[in-house]
Amino acid sequence: MGIFFQLIFTGLGVGSIYALIALGFVLIYRATNVVNFAQGDFAMLGAFAMVVITIDLGLPYWIGIILTLLVLPLVGVLFNLGVYFPLRNRGYLPVIISTLGASIFLENGMLAAYGPRPQSLPPVFASQGITLGPVFLDSQYLVILATTIAMVALQYVFFERTLLGKKMQATSQDKEMASLLGIPVALMIMLTFAYSATLGGLAGILVAPIIFVSVGMGAVIALKAFAATIIGGFGDVKGAIVGGLALGLIETLGAAYVSVPFKDGFAFLLLFIFLLVRPQGLYGERISEKA
Amino acid sequence: MRFLRSLVAFALGSLVLIGGTPARAADPIKVGMVIPLTGSIAESGKYGIQGAKLAIEEVNKAGGVLGRPLELVIEDDQSANPTTILAFNKLVGDPNIVAFLGPTRSTQIQAMSPAVQKAGKPVMIGGTDPKLTLAGNPWLFRFRPNDSYTVRVMSDFGSNVLGKKKWAVIHATDAFGTSASTLFIEALKKQGITPVMTEGQPNNSPDYTAVALKVKQSGADVMATFITYEQDLAIFAKQLQQLGVNVVWVGSPSITTTTARNLAGPALHGTYAIADFHVAANPEAKAFSAKYRESYKSSPDFFASWPYDAVHVIAKAIEAAKSVEPQKLREALLAVKGYRGVEGTYNFDKNGDGLHGYNILKNDKGDIVVEKRIDFDD
Repeated sequence: MGIFFQLIFTGLGVGSIYALIALGFVLIYRATNVVNFAQGDFAMLGAFAMVVITIDLGLPYWIGIILTLLVLPLVGVLFNLGVYFPLRNRGYLPVIISTLGASIFLENGMLAAYGPRPQSLPPVFASQGITLGPVFLDSQYLVILATTIAMVALQYVFFERTLLGKKMQATSQDKEMASLLGIPVALMIMLTFAYSATLGGLAGILVAPIIFVSVGMGAVIALKAFAATIIGGFGDVKGAIVGGLALGLIETLGAAYVSVPFKDGFAFLLLFIFLLVRPQGLYGERISEKA
Repeated sequence: MRFLRSLVAFALGSLVLIGGTPARAADPIKVGMVIPLTGSIAESGKYGIQGAKLAIEEVNKAGGVLGRPLELVIEDDQSANPTTILAFNKLVGDPNIVAFLGPTRSTQIQAMSPAVQKAGKPVMIGGTDPKLTLAGNPWLFRFRPNDSYTVRVMSDFGSNVLGKKKWAVIHATDAFGTSASTLFIEALKKQGITPVMTEGQPNNSPDYTAVALKVKQSGADVMATFITYEQDLAIFAKQLQQLGVNVVWVGSPSITTTTARNLAGPALHGTYAIADFHVAANPEAKAFSAKYRESYKSSPDFFASWPYDAVHVIAKAIEAAKSVEPQKLREALLAVKGYRGVEGTYNFDKNGDGLHGYNILKNDKGDIVVEKRIDFDD
């Protein structure tokens, strides 16, 4: 039984990482109707920013986190201006290809700048974790779980209770109507990119002590997060969270009780079933919402 | 029209002239190198090139080969199989390349093997899947001991030297991990041992909890691993430690690399590994390591050592054959016996395998020390 709880804990931890990235997918999808395939690379950039600030420059950890979370919005704004904005009126395909190109550019740019050697980043807490009976709770996974819950709560309050959040939501639901009502649509989309990049960077900081900092780290998580987003449904923030956690759990439990080699297979089998049976995902939007 | 025809004739004529010019004494002898410069294993490519270049410099400083300098022509394989074939075929297009250095990963060599056979020129390889040199391709020459020795040395060390009999076997699900673990289990069987558990995990996994728990449950007292990437190894090592799994760990070579030790830290302390290369394993390795450190300000590992040996052996073989003709070069390579390289003593067998033994290393609080050298005659 202890093993079962251990697996549940780890599954939720891994799932929260997927959820944080998936959240970025959903936000940008809702604002622009396209999937940003460079979302995972925001995580990679966040993790590398931490390495540069805390290891290369030797600044304290918390300063590293603050600086990284200040730099990433700028990355998001630049990304918006360079990758999305020039193509915004060309339909979704050019933008998707543009984000794919940006992803390749960011990964190889980082490879050229920082070299291919993976780096390690210390965890947030010096303690490795706590042992609760037969279950070991990795401190970093605890931090990730807590952060994910906090981000979801924050996001809910922001989108449902603040004017800016409502403006952003209106933009995502109907750009023409929003602009008729005097909402600066382009600015709202830029803010969405800034926020998504920050969210991605945060995920990168959190996951780096576990999976290490390497150029390909973002792509590994983003692929699963993308599957999680489809399972959860692109239209809803809830979907990203539920999809991410479900994927983490299924993967970990499936590996333990069914087959380890097919670990990645479970994620994509689930994706396949959803695409076949419920393509709009768990929390798919009603058609009327996006008339 | 007549003008055009004469122009074509002139162009063709000059081509024949160029093609017919015999190689001058100063013309370099080219060695092609298919190596990852980008992609997931780009790091290893950097070391490979550094090792090969060091040997090229030494050969040229000593007067070159047949009085001509050696030249390295590098092509990026982008860490993937299809691009490896493309990179190799691009180099094959250069008729002045007489021999090649191939990848260190078995899966890439497997992919390019048909292209190698078609090209009909010797290719030096660092992949350790035994099948590579047994599949009837006469042009592959291996500069690291293959996994049949890996597994013989590992099982011999664990079962006989350390006296542990309850084995757990963990492997990556790629070509290297699958074939190495299958061979390892066969080697155990020859000792009359069946492992208490076997498990494969895909590469680039963020989490190894399920596998670590299975090892714990199995009651194993010794564990063999064949994991390809250092990130995966380090994640696994840390989770084993966190989940309180205490087994003697005998790993495949990637467990001793600088990257693996940097990433995993104390989680790998006390582990054993077999390694084809160690900086202090023999006098040649010591000299090579000193030179490497001087040139590149870091310690070499096997990614750099086998290309270094390979370049020297190619040079030696060309000298012995007094020719760069592929068939003669092949015979000269197979005739190399007792050459003391940095990886060990090369005695090429009929399959093209140069080495037949391993060093056993121990991670002594982060430092790697040589515990033993085990060599086989067959």
